[in-house]
Amino acid sequence: MALPLRYNFRNVVVRWRTTVFTVLGVAAVVSVFVLLRALARGIESTSGNTGDPRNILVVRKGSQAESGSLVTREQFRTLQYFDEIDRNERGEAVVSAELVMIVNAPRRAGAGDANTLLRGITPRGMELRPQVSLVEGRWFTPGKREVVVSRRLSGRFEGFEIGGTLKAGPDHLTVVGIFDGQGSAFDSEAWMDADESRSIFDREQYSSVLLRPRDAVSASNIVSRLETDKRLSLRAESETGYYAKQTMTAMPFKILGGILGVAMSIGAVFAAMNTMYASVAARTREVGTLRVLGYSRRAVVLCFMIEGTLVALMGGVLGCAIALALNFYVQVRGVFFGTMDFQSFAETVFQFRVTPDLVGLGLLFSVVIGVVGSFLPALRASRLPVIAALKSV
Amino acid sequence: MKGILQRIGHILSLLSPMTWLGGLARLWVRWFGLGPFSFVLINAVRNQRRATLTVLSVASSCALLVTLLTLQRELTVPPESEGASLRIIARNKVSLAQPLPAKQLATVEKIPGVVAVSPFTYFGGNYKGEEMTSFAQFAVDPARFRELLVEGRISDGSYDEFIKDRNSCFVGADTMKRYGLKIGDKMKFTGTFYPVDLDLKIAAVFQGTVDDRGVFFHHKLLDELNGDPGTVGTWYLRVASAEVANDVIARVNKAFENSTAEVRAESERAFQMGFISMLGNVKVLTLSISGVVVFTLMLVTVSTMSMAIRERFRELAILKALGFRRRDLFSFILAESFGLAALGALVGIGGAWALWTFLDLQKMTNGFLLYFEVTPRIMASGAIVAAVLGILAAIGPSLAVARMSVVEGLKTLD
Repeated sequence: MALPLRYNFRNVVVRWRTTVFTVLGVAAVVSVFVLLRALARGIESTSGNTGDPRNILVVRKGSQAESGSLVTREQFRTLQYFDEIDRNERGEAVVSAELVMIVNAPRRAGAGDANTLLRGITPRGMELRPQVSLVEGRWFTPGKREVVVSRRLSGRFEGFEIGGTLKAGPDHLTVVGIFDGQGSAFDSEAWMDADESRSIFDREQYSSVLLRPRDAVSASNIVSRLETDKRLSLRAESETGYYAKQTMTAMPFKILGGILGVAMSIGAVFAAMNTMYASVAARTREVGTLRVLGYSRRAVVLCFMIEGTLVALMGGVLGCAIALALNFYVQVRGVFFGTMDFQSFAETVFQFRVTPDLVGLGLLFSVVIGVVGSFLPALRASRLPVIAALKSV
Repeated sequence: MKGILQRIGHILSLLSPMTWLGGLARLWVRWFGLGPFSFVLINAVRNQRRATLTVLSVASSCALLVTLLTLQRELTVPPESEGASLRIIARNKVSLAQPLPAKQLATVEKIPGVVAVSPFTYFGGNYKGEEMTSFAQFAVDPARFRELLVEGRISDGSYDEFIKDRNSCFVGADTMKRYGLKIGDKMKFTGTFYPVDLDLKIAAVFQGTVDDRGVFFHHKLLDELNGDPGTVGTWYLRVASAEVANDVIARVNKAFENSTAEVRAESERAFQMGFISMLGNVKVLTLSISGVVVFTLMLVTVSTMSMAIRERFRELAILKALGFRRRDLFSFILAESFGLAALGALVGIGGAWALWTFLDLQKMTNGFLLYFEVTPRIMASGAIVAAVLGILAAIGPSLAVARMSVVEGLKTLD
């Protein structure tokens, strides 16, 4: 027969001093673990949330990212007339040749400078990205040295507000609008006219081509056609697939989270063991009494393990609550984090996200700490010789 | 089953430093009799399990703290070299990704204070079938580049051979060792930034720079493969002395002001720091995590110390009744808590030092972590944190002991 849970609850409350210390220790470990995973999750969700499943992105064969890709004007001319490309209501082919540039801009509040991604885009390119909508001002007029920036960037860089300027080479671009990309990778970009961008930066080629096939069959046709056409030397891939792969930036946070989680949990397990051993030692007589009353060894082991897990779980709940509170603060205040994307060398702006599964993972983590930390002390309690235990003070 | 468990427990207890300390304590008492020191020592190790757990939890936290501080140093402080103060990197003001016109060379060369200059273009290729190559390849002008190599030496092959052969390359000793290459071997690279591939023959090897991994090849070859675009990535300059470096930087920037390709020149060190700052706020991240680690460390030590003291409240009450003053009791508690924390720091910091010194991290992280040096300064900060904790942890229990009345203490059962 198992001991009533009430016994454990009351013990935890009565020995509140040691309980508090252990709970706080476990809470610290769990919150660090959850927050680091939340940073990685924020980056992943940015790239996972980008693109239209109907679109296809074309880059140079051998290049891993848009920023390292080149598409010549000849290649674009060939591509443009592919029959598989869809047409809009005005009968124009929905295809956009774009130029991705990196521009160095000063951060707000004098915090040095950082690279930002400046995309030269066409009207078709905007139709292809329904995720992006203008929230303030107007879109740029080609030829007038105008640019629109994302709302997230506008908070991070000096001069990224309507009427402000962005220096690009010998030219100054005037910010005329602010857009919102609904948490996609476009939220880390600034947009201007593609051909104007080519002339400012003195570029012959485009970086990539985004297009919309008529249907799924034409989509796979385009992909295989480019795959086999050695002359064009281009590679096509679904836009969502391309962005979903750009998650490498999240790796350092994931690795750091893993290593720290393991290292800190070792310390937490020792602390939990210490608490539980002390708890067992203090209750030697009680354990003896329980055994005399007929509770089996197994019941005693279970009892102490439940108690240890309960304490650790309380720590886990507190740790997750801390992480969620920070998450709430960040969402409400609109705080963003930036890190360098290793592929484009431009800054990716993201927000950390404590998702329900991360909370679950954090709680599970605390349970593991509790179980591992209380196993040996519980075993010891069950092994106490009954008579000696009863005699002890 | 039970026998086996007991035997394992016995072996484990032999491994524990506490068992040795217990033995030492007994020897001490036998030789020197019972004094305050042996009293503290015996008390500290009388619950071997608890003492071991305390030491181990302090040790694991200390090791983590030292590791974090080392990581931060690795990521924020680029390795310094004597030549770094003499070298300047000039890039396009727009961004690093925007090339500079090759014709700027004539102007840069004439700037007073510039001793040598070479084009320096990042190729960013992947070595023979690798997904992500961790060492960089640069296109340079070999004859000019020689003047820029202040530190380091040619350890194998001949630099003249490198200058002569347009399809050859100059490789760092670490890369040679890692891939088991020798002079005359071929290195193939697939371009990720440039739509061309390289097939280079190793002509010479260098050693003794801060980063012996790079591969250098002829800029002429890159120009040829790309159809002579007339551009370079950056200019790499050497100045006559560190004193004139700032003037030269200002002159280079001024020389191209208001031209179609404005230049931003900065010292090699500033250039590297700029790169690191783009990684995001690494410093804040590691510092806040270190803060949490220290907090956890404190909780563990404080809770253990108060447990140890509460366990022997009765004894302390007896000592009080015998006439020991509060001051004496405080020093007993302080010595014990400080001792346990110090031992934990020794094990943790020493362990972290040994681990990071003898582990080949460069190989394990694919070149991401290069040195990961645990400096004396970092070890000292870890030790200071542990010492302060040892003292802080003694305060709470000491206050409790000071406040308790003898009668109450004698009655305590817990």
